[in-house]
Amino acid sequence: MGMKFKERWETLTWTWNPKSIRESSDSVVRNLLLHWFPAKVSHKSLSYRYSLWLGTISAVLFFILCATGLILMFLYVPSVERAYPSVKDIGFVASYGGFIRSVHRIAAHLMVVAVFLHMMRAFLTGAYKNGLGANQNRPVNWVLGVVLLFLTLLLSFTGYLLPWDQLAYWAITVGTNIASAAPLVGDKIRFFLLGGNQIDQNTLLRFYVLHCFVLPVSVFLLFSWHMWRVRKDGGLASVDREAQKAKEKKSIPIKTKTYALLGITSGRTVAVESSYIDQDENLVESVPNLTGRVLFVALATALLVITLAFLIQAPLEEAANPLVTPNPAKAPWYFLWLQELVADTTVHLGSFTINGALVGGILIPALLGLLLAAWPYFDRSSTAATGVWFAKERRRQNLVFLAVIFAILVLTFVGTFMRGPSWHLYWPWQAWPPSPTRF
Amino acid sequence: MKSMKLPAPPCAEGNAQNTLEAPGRRKFLYRLGWGALVAGIAGQVFAAVRALIPNVLYEPPRTFKIGLPESFADGVTYLEDHRLFIGRDRLGLYAISAVCTHLGCTVKMMNLNQPELVKIGGKPTEILQEFHCPCHGSKYYGDGTNYAGPAPRPLDWFRLEVSPDDGQIIVDSSDTVHHDFRLKA
Amino acid sequence: MKRNWDNLGIFLCGAGILLVTILVYAGQFQPEWKGYQKQFRAMVLEKYGAARAQQVPSGPQQIWAKDLNRVDRCTTCHLAVGWKGFEDAPEPFRTHDHAILEKHPIETYGCTSCHGGQGYATDLDSAHATALANWEQPLLGKDVSETYAVSDWHMMMQMNCNECHRYDRKTPGAEAINEAKALVDQKGCRACHTINGRGGVIGPDLTYEGDKSTEQHDYSRLLGVQSEFGWHVAHFMEPTAMSPGTVMPAFGFTSHQAEVLSLLVMSWKRNPVPMQFMHGVKLGDFPTPEEIAKEKQMETGEGAFFVKHTCFVCHSVSTLGIESATNIGPDLANAVTDVPARFGRPLDDFLMSPTGTMSVVLATQIHLSPEERREAIAKLKIANQLLVQQQAKTGRGKKE
Repeated sequence: MGMKFKERWETLTWTWNPKSIRESSDSVVRNLLLHWFPAKVSHKSLSYRYSLWLGTISAVLFFILCATGLILMFLYVPSVERAYPSVKDIGFVASYGGFIRSVHRIAAHLMVVAVFLHMMRAFLTGAYKNGLGANQNRPVNWVLGVVLLFLTLLLSFTGYLLPWDQLAYWAITVGTNIASAAPLVGDKIRFFLLGGNQIDQNTLLRFYVLHCFVLPVSVFLLFSWHMWRVRKDGGLASVDREAQKAKEKKSIPIKTKTYALLGITSGRTVAVESSYIDQDENLVESVPNLTGRVLFVALATALLVITLAFLIQAPLEEAANPLVTPNPAKAPWYFLWLQELVADTTVHLGSFTINGALVGGILIPALLGLLLAAWPYFDRSSTAATGVWFAKERRRQNLVFLAVIFAILVLTFVGTFMRGPSWHLYWPWQAWPPSPTRF
Repeated sequence: MKSMKLPAPPCAEGNAQNTLEAPGRRKFLYRLGWGALVAGIAGQVFAAVRALIPNVLYEPPRTFKIGLPESFADGVTYLEDHRLFIGRDRLGLYAISAVCTHLGCTVKMMNLNQPELVKIGGKPTEILQEFHCPCHGSKYYGDGTNYAGPAPRPLDWFRLEVSPDDGQIIVDSSDTVHHDFRLKA
Repeated sequence: MKRNWDNLGIFLCGAGILLVTILVYAGQFQPEWKGYQKQFRAMVLEKYGAARAQQVPSGPQQIWAKDLNRVDRCTTCHLAVGWKGFEDAPEPFRTHDHAILEKHPIETYGCTSCHGGQGYATDLDSAHATALANWEQPLLGKDVSETYAVSDWHMMMQMNCNECHRYDRKTPGAEAINEAKALVDQKGCRACHTINGRGGVIGPDLTYEGDKSTEQHDYSRLLGVQSEFGWHVAHFMEPTAMSPGTVMPAFGFTSHQAEVLSLLVMSWKRNPVPMQFMHGVKLGDFPTPEEIAKEKQMETGEGAFFVKHTCFVCHSVSTLGIESATNIGPDLANAVTDVPARFGRPLDDFLMSPTGTMSVVLATQIHLSPEERREAIAKLKIANQLLVQQQAKTGRGKKE
């Protein structure tokens, strides 16, 4: 009986615990969850130091957010009258409700951070550049990544409103007013986004549907595309770098191989120069080497999230009151660099005034965003700079990139920690004047 | 990966050997590790499911006050808010639930043009009204006894009490009573 | 490849996740209220035996006052509210005063509509909300009273009584509010302020003063606790200290009087309470027949001029039936003799070209044309004649 159970268990779990190289390859082919991995991966792509695993971390955070968000959807009521009380109920009387909400919030903040760092990593390693493989098109995947970053910010932003407290209401008021500074269509965009001129039931429902359906589904589809492109582009860019190095050593390839599906697709597909990719000493089985590491990274991320959630409770301020603006009213922290720009960039030219919201809220971020998305098409460095941290050839662009990031971080820091009531400057350790209470 | 028992892939030389060398202790630690992981994740999943079982309810209380005894006239009064019939006869006050015992629809009271004599439990009884369920045609006599349709049992009778505080009638809808029950008033 | 630490990492993370999960569960299984419920069960067991101890509820309790849109979970810890026999027990195990609950059944009114505090909360700090910034209305109990050194903490709560009972002249049990209402009549606040649709327009309408959000006051001159209540108290004690340039005089209130008046004005809210809660409650502020007669006499009698031109805010003209609420200035009944005594000039001359306070008032607050000034002089002369007659009469009366 015991033996029988063991055998049955093994038939169920063999894909996770293969006993031979054949079983390992089989598991990749036959298992739904594993089939999107290659059968073998190079050592280089398993390295922590190259990729920092930020993409995996972002994806894990996204799935944690989906899971906790699903539970919260059962407990939350997206109506102006019931939203705030239902969040109170989640915090005070739903078993583990407060914890689940904290996990959701912490994971959301961390996902913004992780996706942003992932973008930085890809830029600084020149990972958007094509290497030696045929049919590579990494710039497209970079653009997808930039769109995913934008969607991540939108996901977080739409979720910000849902608790319907003062923090939510005024952060979204400030945030959406930036949109209205766009020339000609700004007000119309805001009207469409809010479903009216001010934040009310229409806005709450719009943000709810965006937050719980439209945006997560979009992220999931784009994420799948993003992963598919990684496979099509021959894996991580660092592998191209290794192949390049190998090629420099031995000028004549030992053998070549094509992985084309004969007669179905034309040309060579994912294969990098076979000199590197086909040598067994560079490769390991994906199962369990890659799967094990993915599992470890996933669990480490989950552990970090639940530990932080256990230590830091998600806040809930007074119920939203359209008549009283809290002082100071701040946008979500990842938009505070914009709010800071908006506050600093109103320009007076004689009798002519350009609203800071247009310069700081629209022109600068739009320019930065477009430049970011299009950068691979401007980058003229050679393939040798593909998949290398701080390649010498790309030093200048890396420095400019880091300078912009640094400026954004400084503005975010100032906006978050150094702006007090009436947007006055305070040192982070300086106490703000007390805000008055009723009693 | 070394400790996962993969037989000698190029990268895992020696590890498989290690696994074979000390199988007992390794196996134990291996199981302990997976056990902790599975227990932790199971705990998280249970917490998520438990969150969906409400601890407080936004429902009217099961025990409620319906007013002073004097406010109920002879015959049967329907309290829409509570889905409840309050009857008064010469013996006193009683309460019959308007919830059909078949599938929970609200029964409708039909006043008869003239008193009718029916046999309830073999005893001839005079009735003044009937209750008809709109959903599946269940029919009840005025005392709640089912006589037609799919209803499996008579309508519930609830215990009535007079509040010592303000003299109002207290209905306890979790406490069903026999059809002889009357509140003397 | 170097030694692979992934498996160890997986197991350590697994153990970590298990540990945090256990900690989360531990917190869930040891809520604050559980201790109180256990304690109360023991108290009931000792007093009434096992059968009744079983009736002590377990788990979070809530009163859903649907019509007032309130959810109050106070009874999760304050278990004895409806029990008899715990009248002298320490909180949270004390029986609630029965007479008040009879008129305000807890099932329909909840707790926070009178006591304040955060009904949703199930732990002490959040529920009493005295130290937290994230809930507007704290529990109006001992903590708040101590902050303001108020001797009787019950009086703070009476602010909430008056949200519904605002039109009562006297509400049984709300002594502090009753005292404040008496002060409003006595000091003639309506001379300048409209309250419930009646009164003057020199000061702002106070009918819904309590609805003003906290941020609307200027706290820059307020010492001590930065609160709306603190602001009102300081303003009642010395109006110019809070709002420089105000014409509102200092009435010399004691701090107790200033506190009850603050509670009164803060209770003046638009309070959309459903009709069934207002059973037997007066729904309008109607003056008594004496007040109507007095008002009519002031507005249409011989001294109507002094009401029309708001002189009566500071001055009485006693012989013409004009009574000032504030009496900041002297009674004008003897202005004919008093003005020369004070300013060394006859009344006619003084009023045409005043000096001192009156020059400021007549330049800024009250605008009188020369004809109106002559009318005032004529009226004041009549008032003086009446005074002389009266004095003659009382003089004779004394002799007799």
